[in-house]
Amino acid sequence: MSPAPLSPSQEAPSRRVVVTGSSAITPLGDSPESLHRGLCDGATGLKNLELFPAEGLSCQLVGEIHEFSARHYLTSGNLRPLDRTAQLATVAALRALEEAGFTAELRQQQDVGLVLGTLFGSVHTISAFDRRALEAGPKYAKPLDFANSVINAAAGQTAIWHDLRGVNSTICSGSPSGLQAIAYAADLIQTGRADTLLAGGADELCFESYLGFHRTGRVAGSGSTAASDETPHPVPFAANRNGFALGEGGALFLLETREQALARGATILGEIRGHGNAFDPSRGKDSVLAAGALRRAIEIALEEAAIEGGQLGAISTSANGSIVGDRHEAQGIAAALGPYLQDLPVTAIKGALGESLGTSSAIQAIALLEALTQRHLPGIAGLDEPDPTLPLPRLSREAQPLHQPLGLVTALDAGGHACAVILESGVLESGV
Amino acid sequence: MAGPIVVTGIGLVTPTGLGREVVWPNLLAGKTGIAPVESFDTEAFNVSLGGEVTGFEPREHLKRLEVEQAGRASQLAIAAAHQALEDAGLGIDALEAERTGVTMGTTSGEPQEVEHFDDHWVADRLSQVGPEFMDRYPCHHIPANIAAELGLAGVNMMIPAACAAGSYAIAKAFDVLQAGRADVMLAGGADSFSRITYTGFARLGAIAPERCQPFDVGRKGMIPGEGAAILILETLERARARGARIYAEVAGYGLSCDAHHMTAAHPEGDGAARAMEQALQQSGVAPEEVSYISAHGTGTPTNDRLETIAVERVFGPRGGGTPISSIKSMLGHTMGAASAIEAAVCSLAVHTGWIPPTINFEQADPQCDLDCVPNEARQLEVDVAMNNAYAFGGTNASVIFRRAAE
Repeated sequence: MSPAPLSPSQEAPSRRVVVTGSSAITPLGDSPESLHRGLCDGATGLKNLELFPAEGLSCQLVGEIHEFSARHYLTSGNLRPLDRTAQLATVAALRALEEAGFTAELRQQQDVGLVLGTLFGSVHTISAFDRRALEAGPKYAKPLDFANSVINAAAGQTAIWHDLRGVNSTICSGSPSGLQAIAYAADLIQTGRADTLLAGGADELCFESYLGFHRTGRVAGSGSTAASDETPHPVPFAANRNGFALGEGGALFLLETREQALARGATILGEIRGHGNAFDPSRGKDSVLAAGALRRAIEIALEEAAIEGGQLGAISTSANGSIVGDRHEAQGIAAALGPYLQDLPVTAIKGALGESLGTSSAIQAIALLEALTQRHLPGIAGLDEPDPTLPLPRLSREAQPLHQPLGLVTALDAGGHACAVILESGVLESGV
Repeated sequence: MAGPIVVTGIGLVTPTGLGREVVWPNLLAGKTGIAPVESFDTEAFNVSLGGEVTGFEPREHLKRLEVEQAGRASQLAIAAAHQALEDAGLGIDALEAERTGVTMGTTSGEPQEVEHFDDHWVADRLSQVGPEFMDRYPCHHIPANIAAELGLAGVNMMIPAACAAGSYAIAKAFDVLQAGRADVMLAGGADSFSRITYTGFARLGAIAPERCQPFDVGRKGMIPGEGAAILILETLERARARGARIYAEVAGYGLSCDAHHMTAAHPEGDGAARAMEQALQQSGVAPEEVSYISAHGTGTPTNDRLETIAVERVFGPRGGGTPISSIKSMLGHTMGAASAIEAAVCSLAVHTGWIPPTINFEQADPQCDLDCVPNEARQLEVDVAMNNAYAFGGTNASVIFRRAAE
């Protein structure tokens, strides 16, 4: 039943990797369409925190998925073993499998794998397990929580729920995790090691990470250096940005070979054309190295896609309102694509969604593919006054029409990881 | 394509010592690294043994990073990385930064950082949590810290596939090199000794009270450990051109998921067998050509029984007589480092013609009717070695190492 993997020497170089399913569980809706509509309407998913009490911490503005109910989607089965991250991943997998028409029956005939980007799995589950043992004694620790204390727990639970018996991998590289997962999956398919993979990310909002990030001083309004009552302004590329707002979500592509998609009559939503991955060994301390990492990731992706920067229709960046991070990302993009930037609109959706960590760049990819398909690029929520020192002349302040089927997704983490992926809308092939 | 991918350097940080030149003789001698746990008080548990790395002084190993910047798993991994490069005869200056990458695996990342956070919480001292929690805890800091220490700017990734993670990281590095995305890869795994892990396995009743006895009829469980291992991978062409010592070729791999249970293996060994079959197929190796198998072999009653079923599915009754040993009998289960340490074992078995034993073996279990290389290392010409690893989440990995072409 396994796909017959080809040995590298037999590999057909023409295995193209296409998207036939796509899901996004976000603060602005539970589908790529509703997310795209919200983003283009200039809506914001940033609201006051409701999920857990966090008294004493300034800035309670978060991208929370209010009233998220896994039961609404997963109508039968025992949800108890799934923590919030696993629920977001499992629901995202359901939606992507459904859209792609990859039914349970089809999954019996053919292995589907999963590559999940995440920053934490669930640091909430891990901490709760430990605290229970500390407070009540190790005898009272909960075995179920222990099973979920591994960082790949959400990937394992999703595989059990949907019977995904192929490769099961989890990727952590900070905010580029989800994008990196898509790139990793594309490589496995392109080289014949897998035929069908879900790839993207999931991360939850929880007290543990919320407090932890506040203490770094990088959350907007958390004010480690400035006055603690400063107004949060988590607006990407804004002149007066002062950090990010935390968010959460789950988002997956269903990727398969173009040949397989055509053979089974699936609608091709898009194609993964190329990707690049690089690292900044200064870990954000040296602007030249930080921008250089993203520049190299973009250059590798362009080369792999065999396109020029001028063929790109838009860029979706991972900018989230971080003072330093947004600048490094702008500099990296300018270093790779400088000559084309006068005509190349740049957007940043984290202004509307917050920083959803390991899943954030997967949401970027899914939202950008939807934008390329709908030929409409969302603006940057809340961007009244762009930072004039940034080398990005065409920041997308309002939603605008798109004319090209190719788009670039970039993600650069403060810790040094950089990833770039080039997507092509499948709209021209939708009649197939 | 880039041609064959080979192992040219090995770094090992284990409960039986630091460095290939110490660890390999210890493994062949059947030396145990199991001792009473020192990291935390085990009084509240009914077990007390662990496989800790002792005598590790981080300041001796971190040359560029400050000790405070990196959690313990990162520190262990950095020590393994330095060793591996030195073992490969590669000075940092000899590496092109942008063409050298790092892929790592882990089970828990830096669990001691979240444990520290939890200590603050239960003592009502959350006000004392500072930036170090997020600056050290998330597991992607491990490969990032290695790259920062060594100034490496290529592909960088953490693959936390639990106890199969080291193999997942090696598999990814293999693909990165084959695709020409890097010239040299550092690939392996790391985990630090963890109260959370210890508590969990104790709660499951999975920890052996006295010793770890894989495949023995009287086996009583696994013993948690810690460690790090890193392999230097590069193309055969590059290794030859620079006259490097070649331990083994990475021939291929198979990855699968049981999709059955978070902590229990598939009752018929389904996912494990599929991973082995894929690895054999990709490597172009027949089961009877495999000289040695490094077992997952945790020593729990269930793991070893189900692992035997899976091996017999692929290799036939008694595993076709293929020797299969578990170094977890000596090191305990070093979690995310385990399959990376075992990858080093497979490489060294091919290179030296010796295979390490399964120690503490007294009486055969009819349900584990395999040649587990009981108690004594064995001299054996190893042309092909298979490394098996199974993990929470139902994730499985098999990686095949073989003698590189002359």
